[in-house]
Amino acid sequence: MAFYKDHYEVVIIGGALAGLSCALQLQAKGIRDILILEKHNLPGGLATSYVRDGIEIEATLHEMMSIGTKEDRLKVGVFFDEMGVDIDWLRVPEAYRFVETSKGIDITLHSGFETMSKEIDAQYPGWGPKVLEFMNLCNTVYNSMNILSVTPMSKVQMLMKHPEFVKTAGYTATEVMETYHFPQDIVDILSPYWIYVGNPLKTLPFTIYAFLMADYFRGGSYVCKNLSHEMSMKLQQKAEENGAQMEYCQEVDKILVKNGKVTGVRTRRGDEIHCDYVVSGAYPNKVYTQMIEPLSEVPEGAIKSVNARKLSVCPVSVMMVLEGTPEEIGIKDYNIFSGTTMDTEEIWENYQTQGPYDYLTSICLNLANPGCCPEGYTQFSITALPLAEPFLNVKEEDYLSLKRKLASDMIDHYEKVSGIKIRDRIAEIEVSTPMTIAHYVGAWKGSIYGYRHHINDHAVARLQMKEEDHFIDGLEFAGAFSISGNGMGPAVTNGRAAAKAIFEDKEKKEAAVK
Amino acid sequence: MIVKGFLKDVGGASRVTNARRETYATASPLPDPKDPIRALADALHPGKQEFKVTKITDASPTSKTFRLEPLNGHVPVFQSGQYINFYLEIGTSKLTRAYSLASAPFEARLPQPFVEITIRRNVSYFVPDYFFDQVKEGTVLTAAMPFGNFYYEPLRDSKNIVALAGGSGITPFVSLAKEIAAGKLDVNLTILYGSVNHKDIVCGEQLAEAEKAAASLAAGGGSSASAGSGYGSVRVIHVMSDDPEWDGEKGFVTKELIEKYSAPDSTYMFCGPWPMYNFVTKALKELNVPARRFRHDVMQQPSKATNIPGFPEDQVGKVYKLTVVRGIQEDVVDARADEPVAVALERSAIAIDTHCRGGECGFCRSKLLAGDLFISPLGDGRRAEDKEQDYFHACSAYPMSDCKVKIPIM
Repeated sequence: MAFYKDHYEVVIIGGALAGLSCALQLQAKGIRDILILEKHNLPGGLATSYVRDGIEIEATLHEMMSIGTKEDRLKVGVFFDEMGVDIDWLRVPEAYRFVETSKGIDITLHSGFETMSKEIDAQYPGWGPKVLEFMNLCNTVYNSMNILSVTPMSKVQMLMKHPEFVKTAGYTATEVMETYHFPQDIVDILSPYWIYVGNPLKTLPFTIYAFLMADYFRGGSYVCKNLSHEMSMKLQQKAEENGAQMEYCQEVDKILVKNGKVTGVRTRRGDEIHCDYVVSGAYPNKVYTQMIEPLSEVPEGAIKSVNARKLSVCPVSVMMVLEGTPEEIGIKDYNIFSGTTMDTEEIWENYQTQGPYDYLTSICLNLANPGCCPEGYTQFSITALPLAEPFLNVKEEDYLSLKRKLASDMIDHYEKVSGIKIRDRIAEIEVSTPMTIAHYVGAWKGSIYGYRHHINDHAVARLQMKEEDHFIDGLEFAGAFSISGNGMGPAVTNGRAAAKAIFEDKEKKEAAVK
Repeated sequence: MIVKGFLKDVGGASRVTNARRETYATASPLPDPKDPIRALADALHPGKQEFKVTKITDASPTSKTFRLEPLNGHVPVFQSGQYINFYLEIGTSKLTRAYSLASAPFEARLPQPFVEITIRRNVSYFVPDYFFDQVKEGTVLTAAMPFGNFYYEPLRDSKNIVALAGGSGITPFVSLAKEIAAGKLDVNLTILYGSVNHKDIVCGEQLAEAEKAAASLAAGGGSSASAGSGYGSVRVIHVMSDDPEWDGEKGFVTKELIEKYSAPDSTYMFCGPWPMYNFVTKALKELNVPARRFRHDVMQQPSKATNIPGFPEDQVGKVYKLTVVRGIQEDVVDARADEPVAVALERSAIAIDTHCRGGECGFCRSKLLAGDLFISPLGDGRRAEDKEQDYFHACSAYPMSDCKVKIPIM
């Protein structure tokens, strides 16, 4: 009995957003002999949902970036349109409400640079224009980043055409923000999104910060009507329509390498499948220390590269279905970032413990997607993004009580900050931890954000070092650990970049033959 | 925009690239393959493992308890109410079956850990027959655990639990009662257990023992220092529907009985057959119990398809061709209209990973490529997008024509 062909041109490990986007991009360039092997029995990795007593619950998606409005489509939105992936996007009503209890800050910002700068001006009169100037800088850097990530150019050209990008590239978010001399309150108000890239502002490249701010405040953010599972399913559907073979429940154990060149993969079931290229959704840490067969094919440089890079955060999330409508419960905001402090260094320290976590984001899905629950219920989640370290020594016996303690602390925190009682309304509750992530998607140490966006692992440097980071012929990576880093938007970009690398490599090899 | 000076500014890209190269240069060249988080995740969900049957005891005249010990010495942590899923080969069939764990979670943490399941065979039936006739002490079975969401969740549920059990649906509550009786869980459990006749009571002795042990623990038996604090209670009320000799509660588990034995704001946990489910959910509605205070175990599809609301009677007995796609492999098998797709696959020894067999859990999620299926409305756990793209759960979908389906490769 044969479930696979003997050979595929490309085998993609992992049918998550990056892997599926990679498949679509390869197909668009005429590479159609593709096998996608997914560990779970669902596509999408973290972009997924689950059902409890008839209610479908969103697993992860808070705010999809890079989609944009129909009139001003952003990068990922454009790609989906071009690929014929038609997702029913629902716009998130606000950017965020930010509550910092130690300073009494409580402000809600909406997307649109003018809009948000006016909203800040209303509370901090006179500062609106300066905020707008700052957001315009973010937007300029954002536009450059989008161009430069696909179009290489010389340093001189870059300086001529993208001066703001070049001049800010070497600085952290804090360093650039300081040149605006904002009062600390405004710095705090402009900081909440930092957690979506998982690195404190003092060492976060401004480039990344600018990308985040411009993208969210320009295009707003979106969720899918049928939850993030819709996005994953529609990507899979299109990839299959275009001829890819995708199989569930197939964890790849080994990547077979001979004389520095990929020859295939072996699944946990024992199927050995040959191919020219492998795109790995598994972390480089895992690939270079466990999966390459034989391990002697792993160059020392590859080991050093994964040892040099530091993992970013992983989520602890409390997902609930509450009895009552948002109005009945008193929930008015889709998204609240809240904590006693907005000092990201301090929060980072706190995130290296088992809690209670102080900086949380809460999402009331109904307010963007009213149909997400049966009448009279509210879908609500609270998330913290700690590091993996505090969980490295958890014992099996202690796991359930730890999980419940984390969740209980987060519910307490939310109730205290918001003054809204939710505990007595819980109809369904699930808590996900780094272990949950590791179980379902196999991410290294449960980290969903890949490597830290640290100034010493700058996306610009990653781009410059693309060749140096390539260790095995025929092996590409597509996931949060790739150049563009974490998030569902960047996942798509990372997948496309892997496809581009294969396409270019293939062209190069074909040219060499001629 | 100038931050620090033109030259410093324009040299930024090179500066950060050099900084990154520097981290590479100074990094350790030694591979670090350890991932303790994945290791813990794997310990919690080890997947298939082998268990040896070490003890078989009678749990009633028609039921047996099977004790299973893991060959590798490790049983993953589980919670009362969760289940174990067996991978069986019986005759020419290849199939999976789930059973609630009847042993207590603490028993899986003992130096010689074990789990137990209790199976009733009051009428001849494929899998119970296998366990009763073929499985002996010493038999090694392949199974995976734990699964299911039917457990006491302190973040959500009341500390006062009223269990509503019918027939062999008692087993998850046997586990819960034993855990409380061992002082491992502080909840007050009242079990309303419906049987036809007292001879049908499953695990009666274990329940009585748990009741006694919990009472003595609460009274401070053995360790007076902690008397009455942090210990839960167990109370079992048997209800006989047809037993003239019985001098306890008689009839069905009615609204009146539920009200009589419930503490205020209790969480109700149900495990039993469909008719009893319909009966007690109606009673709870009349008692104005909020939906969040009612939990139920996964309900297997009725064994007679015609008992499923909306099942087309004229399809009974029809046999269709089912084309099964796994990767590039295609097989054609017979499939009865009045049996789920999963059963047709099992009969043809095509492995399909069913768990709950009630449509809820989605482990047997598959795709319909051609043809028509009847999807049972009972326990339909499909995602919205799955419905739109013709995905179905094989345990709860019935072929209504020749069909072509794609299932995961097992």
